Amino acid sequence: MIEVAHLTRRYGRYVAVDDVSFRVEPGTVTGFLGPNGAGKSTCMRMITGLTPPTSGTATVLGRPYVALGNPGRHVGVLLDAAAQHAGRTGREILTLGAIMMGLDRHRVDEMLELVGLTGEESRRRLRNYSLGMRQRLGIAHALLGDPQVLILDEPANGLDPAGIRWMRSLLRGFADEGGTVLLSSHLLHEIEVVADDLVVIGRGRIVANGSKAQLMSAAGTTVRSADDARLATALEVGGFQAAPMNGGGIHTDAEPCVVGQLALQQQVALLELREAGTSGLEEMFLQLTAADAREGVAA
Amino acid sequence: MNATSTVHSDRAHMSERLEAGTASAIPFGRLVALELRKLTDTRAGRVLILVAIGLVVAVGLIGVFSGKPSQDKNLRDFLALGSLPLQLMLPLLGVLAVTAEWSQRTGLVTFTLEPRRSRIAFAKWVAALALGAAGVVIALVVAFGFTGLTDALRSSNPSWHLSWQVVLGTVVGQLLYMSIGVAFGMLIQNTPGAIVAFLILPTLWSILGSFSWSENIAQWADTNRTLSPLYNATMHGDDWAKLVVSLLIWLALPMIAGIWRMTHSEVKSA
Repeated sequence: MIEVAHLTRRYGRYVAVDDVSFRVEPGTVTGFLGPNGAGKSTCMRMITGLTPPTSGTATVLGRPYVALGNPGRHVGVLLDAAAQHAGRTGREILTLGAIMMGLDRHRVDEMLELVGLTGEESRRRLRNYSLGMRQRLGIAHALLGDPQVLILDEPANGLDPAGIRWMRSLLRGFADEGGTVLLSSHLLHEIEVVADDLVVIGRGRIVANGSKAQLMSAAGTTVRSADDARLATALEVGGFQAAPMNGGGIHTDAEPCVVGQLALQQQVALLELREAGTSGLEEMFLQLTAADAREGVAA
Repeated sequence: MNATSTVHSDRAHMSERLEAGTASAIPFGRLVALELRKLTDTRAGRVLILVAIGLVVAVGLIGVFSGKPSQDKNLRDFLALGSLPLQLMLPLLGVLAVTAEWSQRTGLVTFTLEPRRSRIAFAKWVAALALGAAGVVIALVVAFGFTGLTDALRSSNPSWHLSWQVVLGTVVGQLLYMSIGVAFGMLIQNTPGAIVAFLILPTLWSILGSFSWSENIAQWADTNRTLSPLYNATMHGDDWAKLVVSLLIWLALPMIAGIWRMTHSEVKSA
């Protein structure tokens, strides 16, 4: 379990992480979503004790990370797959980790096999690894100590589609066995399949936090009609938000049933009417990346 | 992917595992052994060690064949000769042990596996000391070899006497040089910067000390000067005070500031 309470980190006048609180429960995969520079990595570094928070607390398995003793045996961390000595072989990097955590050396071979690095590849120096191979090695390193919590920063970066699918099933299996997973990404579609819960962060603040199902139903409704402008006006008169979408149609926070009734009253023919779901999340997410979007969407 | 189920234990019972004692800290000896391994498992580390040993042998060889057979050919002279390259080269490994965590960004992993960073700092220090002691042992062996060689080739009829003060002075001196290297690494955190500072700053002092107006300062602040009576076993009078003052400046201050910086700074990947 990971518990983050009111975490804040300032750099001078710039607030990188602003009063962030969330929980990651055992048995779940939580997607930590946000555009580049939103504060995801800073948050993860604060959870793992690398960055001292300006204020607030973070605990893993009920303790501050520093109090875990031999944290590698409880928490698998991958923050940057490229942050390894370029002159060491993959096998040596894992061996150093195994020594430090006090593990049997067989564990190194098991993990290499698990992530699909061959014996030949494991004897190459890291500088000759592709980004995808580095990610696989980083995941092997995170799993080395047989942890019950995983904290992974953008682990899908550089993986090919088959690799992404492999990682998803690995994380799903890990959570199904009771493990806790916090997984960051700047791409919604990369983690929406595997995530149970989502924490969306933008400009250092949490803008949405809840189960994926909850967030998707809160994402509103999309509608296409013969007269979008007239329907939009009617929605606004009714006290709802109505925003035109790229490529036609309206996105609104009204329930599909309400939209249907309004269309009936206005005698506007509907072409399409459905819950926004993923595309609504995507929409919300895109708004965050837009330079002027400061207000978030609460779930 | 059923491979996952074969490599993970049952996570439902894991919080108990935390209580059951596997949360106990990483033993300090293991951290030291790990740091020693990290010093020797990269090309940079191996090259530095080989160059240091090579220089010890090279200056020894020069000692064998230079000068008159009766001049400076005792065991003690060869030990003094061999310890010169060790003073210069081995502390660079102490520097590297620390700065690689930043220059190679391995600190991200090292400090997540042992978040109490002062333990890493001390493990690096102890590993550097062990390496320094090993270096003196090698220098001693080489000195014995070359003293015998000179006697065989040039009939130098050397003195094989080595006072305990000279041996102790050589060991302590080497350990102090190693410590200064580690301290510079911790303070500067950047490989080229720390190496340049370690090599250049004392030399600058030596140059400054050659001017009459700074002669007094150099006597107290130039470690090359204050450490040499330790190596020669000629410490007396205010030599001790001078040694302590110079070590305060070049060892204690950078070490304290360096450990503070290491334990308080933010560890980032980029």
